Amino acid sequence: METLGDDGIGIGSGGESDKERQEEAEQEAALLRDRLRLSVISMASSHAKTLGMTISEPVVACIADLAFKQAEQMGRDVELFAQHAGRKSVNMEDVILSAHRNEHLMGLLRDFAQELKGKEPCTERKRTKKALKNENKVQEPIEMLD
Amino acid sequence: MEENFDPDLIHEIFKLVWSRRNKKVEGNQGIHLEGGAGTSKKTRATTVLLQIFMNTANASALKVSCELLRLFVAEAIQRAALIAEAEGIDIIEPTHLERVLPQLLLDF
Repeated sequence: METLGDDGIGIGSGGESDKERQEEAEQEAALLRDRLRLSVISMASSHAKTLGMTISEPVVACIADLAFKQAEQMGRDVELFAQHAGRKSVNMEDVILSAHRNEHLMGLLRDFAQELKGKEPCTERKRTKKALKNENKVQEPIEMLD
Repeated sequence: MEENFDPDLIHEIFKLVWSRRNKKVEGNQGIHLEGGAGTSKKTRATTVLLQIFMNTANASALKVSCELLRLFVAEAIQRAALIAEAEGIDIIEPTHLERVLPQLLLDF
């Protein structure tokens, strides 16, 4: 029985060169997935240490795979947004928009983007948010929408 | 400050995704050219061009994406750690991650 999930891998309609290209792409993907996993492993162990906990290996592997899937999904979303805006290159705003599901998250990203641009936050609220942001990583998780 | 992802790595992943999509579009080109009832030839051509043209990403866009992915990993660990703490265990197990996964995926 076919489900929507089957779409991801089967691309071309057969033929030798299509298969080769597909295999190449899969190998590339595997390489990138491994590189990402390495980064995730180091990030995860240092973060867990900050929380005073240890993290088991299958959990790290799972988070790494999830992160890869998130990155893929982000790439697709961001491409669509840029195209929708009639642009050929992806903007900071596109990335921020792709986080629209969680307001708090979007706010954090916007602050980060502002910092990158080098603008000074002009309102009191933004400054407080920035101070919170630095603590936020260690102490509270992101608010969940009700 | 914790380390972040490598922007180049994220860029590679994006390029992989975009090239996959472009190959797909090339395959379906015949169908895409139909367009809607009111589309002029010019609009259709532009749409096809935009779809075929490989996307690029801004350097700051990459940095923000790195930040987003970093937040994802941090959130996942923090929420799972909360559950583990509530149970009084100090190792984060797969069952803990399982419990937080649905809401985590909905939020991101």
